[in-house]
Amino acid sequence: MNNENLSKINSFLSFKLGEEEFAAHVGKVLNILEMTKITEVPRAPEYMKGVINLRGTVLPVIDTRIKFGMPATEYTTNTCIIVLDVDMDGESIHVGALVDSVQAVLEFDQSHIMPAPSIGSRYRSEFIEGVVNVDDKFIMLLNMDAVFSSDELTKMHDKTKETEDTATIVEIE
Amino acid sequence: MDNFKKKFIEEATDLIDGLEKALLLLEQNTEDAGLIQQVFRVMHTLKGNSSMFGFELIDRYTHNLETVYDLIRSKKLKLSRDVLDVTFASVDHLKQLLDESNYNDADFITLHNSLISRVSKIINAEISSETSDESSKKDTTSDASKEEFTYYIRFEPSSDIFKNGTNPLYLIDEIHTLGKAKVFAHLNRIPLLNEIDPLQCYTYWEIILVTGSDVAALNEVFIFVEGESKIEIQRVSEEDLLVDEFFTTELTRIAKIHKEIGLATTLKIAETAKKRFLQSKAATIKKEKVGLKDASITSIRVSSEKLDSLMNLVSELVTTQARLALYAEQSNIPELANISENVQKLSRQLRDTAFSIVLIPIEHMLTRFQRLVRDLSNDLKKEVIFITDGAETELDKTIIESLSDPLMHIIRNSLDHGIEETQERIKKGKSKQGKITLKAFYSGANVHILISDDGAGIDPDMIREKAITKGIISPDKKLTNKEILDLVFLPGFSTAKKITDVSGRGVGMDVVKRKIADIRGEVEIESELGIGTTIIIKLPLTLSIIDGLLVKVDETHYVLPLSAVDKIYAVDNKDINDKFNNVLVLEGKQVPYFNVRKEFELPSSDQEIEQVVVVNYEDNHVGLIVDYVVGEYQAVLKPLGKHYKKQEMISGATILGDGSIALVLDTNKIIKLFSRIEEYKIKKNS
Repeated sequence: MNNENLSKINSFLSFKLGEEEFAAHVGKVLNILEMTKITEVPRAPEYMKGVINLRGTVLPVIDTRIKFGMPATEYTTNTCIIVLDVDMDGESIHVGALVDSVQAVLEFDQSHIMPAPSIGSRYRSEFIEGVVNVDDKFIMLLNMDAVFSSDELTKMHDKTKETEDTATIVEIE
Repeated sequence: MDNFKKKFIEEATDLIDGLEKALLLLEQNTEDAGLIQQVFRVMHTLKGNSSMFGFELIDRYTHNLETVYDLIRSKKLKLSRDVLDVTFASVDHLKQLLDESNYNDADFITLHNSLISRVSKIINAEISSETSDESSKKDTTSDASKEEFTYYIRFEPSSDIFKNGTNPLYLIDEIHTLGKAKVFAHLNRIPLLNEIDPLQCYTYWEIILVTGSDVAALNEVFIFVEGESKIEIQRVSEEDLLVDEFFTTELTRIAKIHKEIGLATTLKIAETAKKRFLQSKAATIKKEKVGLKDASITSIRVSSEKLDSLMNLVSELVTTQARLALYAEQSNIPELANISENVQKLSRQLRDTAFSIVLIPIEHMLTRFQRLVRDLSNDLKKEVIFITDGAETELDKTIIESLSDPLMHIIRNSLDHGIEETQERIKKGKSKQGKITLKAFYSGANVHILISDDGAGIDPDMIREKAITKGIISPDKKLTNKEILDLVFLPGFSTAKKITDVSGRGVGMDVVKRKIADIRGEVEIESELGIGTTIIIKLPLTLSIIDGLLVKVDETHYVLPLSAVDKIYAVDNKDINDKFNNVLVLEGKQVPYFNVRKEFELPSSDQEIEQVVVVNYEDNHVGLIVDYVVGEYQAVLKPLGKHYKKQEMISGATILGDGSIALVLDTNKIIKLFSRIEEYKIKKNS
């Protein structure tokens, strides 16, 4: 299926981070995995949880909560890894996003998508494609390419001092 | 059709590469007829193929080039520098011509036309020089337009021929001007010395002549001696039989035994020779068609995609085999353990074979560098020879592909900044001709490539000064010469005093270093002022599977490349944790060490005994403390992906038999990083 067809589909996968609900376009979602053992990569930024074995390939996993400025994910039976296909510098890259729980696949018309409020938002506007009202709940539609392509990762919220230190050391290399 | 075109382009690229190689050799030895012939043949093949596949521009272009080399081949044109230059330019141009998308580019067309006119100028110059020389012109036209026949001539002058003032040898000479001739002079009628009448001619001749002229023209030669001499002229064949070895040797043999050959015998031999000739002619035509392919008969062409997928499958197999080995071990069934061991042996062999398939000799990229040195030394007006050693050394094809740019850059640097101007070299008492050597050889699981020049060398003081002005190092920092030289690998550091077209644009050795690091290689530099510079590149043999040592630290498995591992020791925990200076004494030697747990910011372990893996780092040994060593492991390297780009000390990940992941560590980088962290901590604390 090519991109044009994909963007015509109005299905979104919604998931929860803490109490807040987000959604990603299904065209970006490849797979939903149960939580498995994550191999940590030493001296990596905190939000980079590590890597897992996805049917013989190595998949980096990102803790979406840390990335969005929340405390690190606590693993429960509902914790999932959403495997995403994101576009990074024109290259398609697979990445796993750790979320608290996966909710549902929602369908709604493009016309229902409202622009994200630019003032008072906790999140940077280029990461949010829009907001949808479903059953009086507001769900934020995320621009997965922007959120999960690497350089943007650190900018979503302030870096902690520690990760910055590590980053400097690594950059000297 | 597109498929055919692709095939043609593939073949043509090979042909053009071969052409370039032959030209470079030819330049060294302009008289080598074999090479000229080879160049000509490549052009001919290229011409034929391109017209067959509708590449008209190439067809016409190579036609002109072919004409030039035809003239050279037949010694009507000297292979001058000018001709070679045009040919080299043409080689580049031909490569461009293969890409049809270029055809719409106006600049490209201008270049095309200017090259065509340069080539035709050479041809025209030759033709006009021919017109001034009437006889040779006649020769060439007859050569080109007419077929050649083989004649048998028997010339028996009357014994009184000298009395007319005729020298029969002049007649023989005249015959020679008509074409190729083989002359048998028969001396059997010459009497003993005391019976000789010096005024009489005893000799008679038999001549095999190959010419385009007809019988009448031959008769004309003998017109003045016709009356008193016996002359027999007979066409024996419609072909040029003198090229046939059998024909000539047979004739010579008979002439020796029977004193004279005679027409009948000649005809008989001619008949057999003709048959052979036709056969061999057919064979040569066929041969010319396959010509250059001869070398590759023992090999086949396989698309690199197929090879890649083969490599992937082998990698999967190795991973699966690791799982099998694990389960076999756990199951306690001896039969299964047996099978698993066999599978391991087979998969190891299969792995090695598959690897050797994707290895190609570095010779493949050397032509490009020969060419670079040639062109650049011309431009820079320096005399430089390029010597290669170990061109047969093989490397993974992906490594070779990514190696060509950095090497190109290093050689440019050597040419531009390394080798001095001719005048200066003479002043320094060096030989006029500069020398750049590329040497490749195996060293364990690595391949080393050394590029050395005998140029000016790098002045460490200059580098130091420059690094200080650029703010890269502080003025009071003490550095060894080696450390100073390593500064050139930092971004934005270009040592050339003036920026030239060739190199020194600030994108220099740092790019080289990064590109080589991408293929898990390392670069070092050694230089002695006034003597020369050597760049050392160390590369892994392959990229995808390494023999490693599996170790465990905390919850995670790590793989250390076995090639870097020297020895493994067990040490008491107390010896490590209470230490202040990070040095262990092992076998009476002091070995600096790093505690991997500590450096990875993991809680310290409560084990009593820890394992120290001693690895080679530069010229030293460094210990890495791990929880325990699992054993040897064949690791199939999988990339960690772009997100972990900055974690340079991890060269990849590999999947273990139980499906979990182990991280493959780059020992050199990890030790460098650890030393930096320690340094950083000390700085922070002070």
